[in-house]
Amino acid sequence: MTLCTHCDEVVLVGHFNREDEAKLRPFCCFGCQTVFNTLHEIGLDSYYEIKKNSAIYKRRSPVESGGSEFKYIDDPEFLTEFSYSTGQHLTMEFYLEGIHCLACLWLVEKLPVILKGVVSSKLDIERSVATVVIDSSGQFSQVAKEFSRLGYRPHPLKNSQDSQALKIKEERSSLLRIGVAGASAGNIMIYAVSLYAGAADRYAEIFNGLTILFALPVLTYSAYPFYKNAWNAIRNKTLSIDIPISLALVIGAFMGFYNVFVGIQENYFDSLCTLVFLLLISRYFLQKIQERGLAAKDLHFFYLNDSVLKASNIELNEFVEVHPKFLKTGDIIKVMPNDFLAADGKVIKGISKMNRAFLTGESKPVSVEVGDEVFSGSQNLFQEIIVEVSKTGKDTRLGQILKNVENGWSHRSHLIDLTSRISKYFTLTVCLLAISLFLFRFMQGDVKIAFEQALTLLIVTCPCALALSIPLTFTRSLSKASKLGIIIKNDSVLEKTSKLKNVFIDKTGTLTHGKLQILDFETSSHNVFDIIYALESLSSHPVAMALVEYSKPRCQNTVKISNYEERLGVGVQGEIGGHFYEIKDGGVFENSQKIASFKVEDSIREDSKKSVRDLTLSGLSVHILSGDNAEVVQRTANQVGIRPENTHFGLTPEMKSSEVAKYPHSLMVGDGANDAIVLSEADVGVAVLGAMDISLRAAEVYLTTPGLNPVVTIVTLSKETMKVIRRNLLLSLGYNSLSVAAAFMGLISPLVAAIIMPLSSLTVLVSTLVGTKKMRALWK
Amino acid sequence: MEIMIILLPLALFLGGVFLAAFIWSARKGQYDDLETPRFRMLLDDENKVNKTTIVKDGK
Repeated sequence: MTLCTHCDEVVLVGHFNREDEAKLRPFCCFGCQTVFNTLHEIGLDSYYEIKKNSAIYKRRSPVESGGSEFKYIDDPEFLTEFSYSTGQHLTMEFYLEGIHCLACLWLVEKLPVILKGVVSSKLDIERSVATVVIDSSGQFSQVAKEFSRLGYRPHPLKNSQDSQALKIKEERSSLLRIGVAGASAGNIMIYAVSLYAGAADRYAEIFNGLTILFALPVLTYSAYPFYKNAWNAIRNKTLSIDIPISLALVIGAFMGFYNVFVGIQENYFDSLCTLVFLLLISRYFLQKIQERGLAAKDLHFFYLNDSVLKASNIELNEFVEVHPKFLKTGDIIKVMPNDFLAADGKVIKGISKMNRAFLTGESKPVSVEVGDEVFSGSQNLFQEIIVEVSKTGKDTRLGQILKNVENGWSHRSHLIDLTSRISKYFTLTVCLLAISLFLFRFMQGDVKIAFEQALTLLIVTCPCALALSIPLTFTRSLSKASKLGIIIKNDSVLEKTSKLKNVFIDKTGTLTHGKLQILDFETSSHNVFDIIYALESLSSHPVAMALVEYSKPRCQNTVKISNYEERLGVGVQGEIGGHFYEIKDGGVFENSQKIASFKVEDSIREDSKKSVRDLTLSGLSVHILSGDNAEVVQRTANQVGIRPENTHFGLTPEMKSSEVAKYPHSLMVGDGANDAIVLSEADVGVAVLGAMDISLRAAEVYLTTPGLNPVVTIVTLSKETMKVIRRNLLLSLGYNSLSVAAAFMGLISPLVAAIIMPLSSLTVLVSTLVGTKKMRALWK
Repeated sequence: MEIMIILLPLALFLGGVFLAAFIWSARKGQYDDLETPRFRMLLDDENKVNKTTIVKDGK
């Protein structure tokens, strides 16, 4: 297996530097090769030294850029919206596609050395966001150009300082709450243990006073989120786990004060502070892990970030570079070959072919001519066309897809999660038990004891273990999964996956490599590669590109062509050295004599068959879902072992989504933008390695290792995680029933309560860390 | 046990100092990016790039 020199992807069809042949450095694509040469040229070869010694953070190949000039970035109107000034300097944030390791960090932060006018460049590797500061001699268009030259596609981020600042503020305050709770819980232990050990008289008074002093900030400031959530839940007439927690905290505090007041040694402040600290920290980590994924919001503007050529004067054929944001209906734009269209519209000049795979998943290019409609997000393959804009931004077909994706996300997050469902019954039971205990003791005649014991019961059965066990187990599974290259953005994925019945897999790019390749090449002629290379490099048809890739490392001489012609839908032809050559129908013809034959196919990934078998063995029915035609899809299904009745073909993005909706408990695996809707609609969406950014955002899970095998891992992991959760719930319910029984028998005292509470949390913690046998096998 | 008169305030004072230090650093944004610095520290500061060969026009 050869790996790409630049991005470490497996090289299927090698690209080689012509002048570097002696060293034979293979590249997976032209993009990687260009970046390698650029780095070499500006003397940043140490990139590869650093990369060699660093763990890959997440594998993603560099992004090919259209050679845009990014002039629009320097537009004053754009700058006011996307940058902010600090004294003499201007700051802008860029989201960089293609950040994958330590070496990327090094490279991005070297920007001030490479480019004049850049004061500083800092990368947040987790968010893939670079913050670049320039002085008056610098320009952001140059910065963007440099980034794209280095192999990262830059997207200026709107200076949404408000929302970003708000997020940072929230994050800092939750850290502060944890810090305060941790410090207090730690200090309070000293005095609480002294009290348990029998400190008396003056010391007992001082220590009791001190525990109150430490507990106050924890019970008010640190625990504030619990009260807030509980209050919101009550107002919305729902039950949340925060209600019993708040209840326990408030009652515990009340009892603590009461005990100190009447002179009972033990108070609950130590347990309460530890509880708040543990709960806060487990929630914080769970949230941190989930945030690692790309968010689905702000999707649309990512696809509006390449500049467009807008006609300033159509008669004089003058065009200016503008940001697509400033496009309006009726504007005339010029679309160059290889450019992506930024708006929907009608062709008014020129003929070309468009690649709409991004939108529809059709792998074949579509011919367009004057009067035809073209859609935002499709790529112009052939020659320049002039388009009159009819729809822009969110109104375009792509915009609609993005909107659907965002909607899919918002309705999905309303699912009631496991914790809330359980806490519903839990809260009710505990309250009923407390009331009945009170009545039971009351009938025996002692109001004071009845009151005390009912309150103690509420505190002891406090859902510490319950509230702790679920986030803890999820956190552990999610973080272990991310070490295995599976980034899970939402903990409910694990719960949903454990109930899975159907798995839908997109064909192109998921089961297959998503790239046309030349197979079974047979020839007797030795110079046939020179001819193929010369003829096909003039065409931009996908088959031609595959042939160019195949013949480039094999050709020896450059040859001259005359009378070149590309016959749309057939092939290419031309004269070389007095002979007439045609490349069509999977063959090369010299004066109508076949001299070489080949097959063009999107080859199937090596691991697809095994993964499909593993999924079937774990009791799931595996389906194939594709925009391609019946024949191709069925052949692929047959090769990987998917049953014929489970093949779905010829589907548009919207149809894919409604197809999946017919099957409950389904997981979708996909990669392209055409999968984005279905990824956000399915119960669980998984985007594979190399997926488009939009799919990464639409999916709840994305994979950073190639192939389908991680999907099998997710299925196993989710089942095992749910097992651990069930075990933890049993354990904490066991503790609770024990304490309830003790309470009814009158055995419970504040000291017993203080021992049971941390002990149950500890048991749950150990149970979570130990996991199950299959889990431990996965971690290895 | 008279030592408590010194020990208690001392313990409280030390705890207070560290809590204050934590609050100060959290507010300063020391914990905003917990991912990148662990990578960044692995990189040498020395500039292996020869500046003269790569000075490019900023315009």
